[in-house]
Amino acid sequence: MTSSEEPALRVIVVDDEELARALLRELLGAHPDIEIIAECGNGFEAVKAVTDKKPDLVLLDVQMPKLDGFDVLELIGTDVPVIFVTAYDQYAIKAFQVHAVDYLLKPFGAERLAEALARARTRIGAREALPAKALVSDARTTRAPLERILIRDRADVHVIPVAKIDYIESQDDYVQLKVGDRQLLKEQTLAELEQLLDPGRFVRIHRRYLLNVARLARIEQAVTESRVAILQDGTELPISRSGYAKLREIL
Amino acid sequence: MHPILSSLRRLAIYLLAWLLIGLLLSVGLGLSGGGNWLTAVIFFVPLSLVFALITQSAWYVCRIFPLVRGRAWTVGTAQILSAVFASGIWVAAAGGWARTLDVVGVGAAGAALYTTQRPLLFVVGALLFWLVSVFFYLLIAFDASKDAERENVELSLLAREAELRALRAQIDPHFIFNSLHSISSLTATDAAAARRMCLLLADFLRETLRLGGNDQIPLSEELALADRFLAIEQVRLGDRLRITRETDAGAAGCLVPPLLLQPLVENAVNHGIAQLVDGGTIRMAATRTGSTLTITLENPCDPERARTRGVGLGLELLRKRLTNQYGATDAVYAQEREGEFRVEIRIPAVIGVPA
Repeated sequence: MTSSEEPALRVIVVDDEELARALLRELLGAHPDIEIIAECGNGFEAVKAVTDKKPDLVLLDVQMPKLDGFDVLELIGTDVPVIFVTAYDQYAIKAFQVHAVDYLLKPFGAERLAEALARARTRIGAREALPAKALVSDARTTRAPLERILIRDRADVHVIPVAKIDYIESQDDYVQLKVGDRQLLKEQTLAELEQLLDPGRFVRIHRRYLLNVARLARIEQAVTESRVAILQDGTELPISRSGYAKLREIL
Repeated sequence: MHPILSSLRRLAIYLLAWLLIGLLLSVGLGLSGGGNWLTAVIFFVPLSLVFALITQSAWYVCRIFPLVRGRAWTVGTAQILSAVFASGIWVAAAGGWARTLDVVGVGAAGAALYTTQRPLLFVVGALLFWLVSVFFYLLIAFDASKDAERENVELSLLAREAELRALRAQIDPHFIFNSLHSISSLTATDAAAARRMCLLLADFLRETLRLGGNDQIPLSEELALADRFLAIEQVRLGDRLRITRETDAGAAGCLVPPLLLQPLVENAVNHGIAQLVDGGTIRMAATRTGSTLTITLENPCDPERARTRGVGLGLELLRKRLTNQYGATDAVYAQEREGEFRVEIRIPAVIGVPA
């Protein structure tokens, strides 16, 4: 099925269950052209391993604590082909939306795994990588408003519950999240993020600012025609005319 | 919806009945009042048709003042006032009709009839109004009994469906898929463990089928089933899943609906322990105090976990089941606080030998 001239595939196995990892280790052991370069027991380890070791393929469990398989995929982007592994068939459609190479249903055997690996080789050969942005928005459109925002800071991952965000500021292709004393950068545009958040909780008060309405203390009239939002911690943010209209609608 | 005015067919039948009443009135009041046939009919038949429409207002009186025990005075007063009012309008209309007939010249006898029979006309009007009221009260009672019957049928259907769904929901098929995956893994590394796991799974499935067929089982059997389930999950999750259990002797013999705890331990594993990197301990306890059996289940959980899957469904079904069985709506109490999830079930402590 695979010829010896092909370079070895460097694979990372991610599953929170030791027995499931052991099975993959055993089944992958039958493929001489596959090299397992890391095994991860949770999503944080997975993001770190993918960042540090740049694998050719990731075998990714869906149900895991803290970060599930889809969270991990959102964070690592499409640079790496992914095969999802799960006992639940209800994620299959979503898996194809995020352009997973394949979707393995537990329990699976050697033949089914070999099929998925062959598919991965074809994908890698074709080098059909997709822009990360398209992938994330594809995956998210079917979901309910975001409850938390995932931020990858090199190999580290921050999970920010949206309730903890004070406001979000646009910085060209990035957004800067203001979370208490911390400022976190994420590669995403403000318009994209605005669409993913609950419009009843986050309001675009200005071209550059998305405000968590719960943080608003009061609105002050500045010079003619312009208003300023005063947050509970005293921060002042400008409010545009259309932003003021949106705010009034919600308050 | 008005039962008569809303249907043309019913209205026609109703008016026909009143035509008959009109003829009777012509005979009773007209002829006895000294009029001739023709004038009596011309005077009374249109009048009774008008009154037929006026008495339709009785429907609203009957709806606003239903026949409820302890409200006889209110209902009586309302009916008397309405009848006096309706009949008053009728008598006034009769006066107007008599004058019209007089002016048109169809018969001065109508006016004479009106003057002589006015008091009697008023009394007959009130009685007729009450007759219509009685008719409406009967109609309401009939509808209510029909509604109650349908509601009963619907309720028992719902109860059966909830029961079936609850039973079906007791075993999550993904639990079986995951277990088979674990067995598949163990066959290469630890054949003896794989065999143990097969037996555990078979035991659990057989016991689930056996116990599920009963109405009531001793709590001790239910707890033994939960133990089997957790033993299987312990193979999958390893030392992430830990369990403690305290059952007092009085509680173990109490009867409970079968598979009562199954959705709860499943939730505790899937939404609690499996969502924690380091796992945690599921704590079960059962105590009996007087006539109440209290079962509690506690497990740590990640307050920031993604809540995408149907977490509340198992609890909701359990709540419905217990409401059906014991009639108490507060048998299940669940709360999550600071990373601890806790469910408490309180049901009547019944001891006995299951049939």
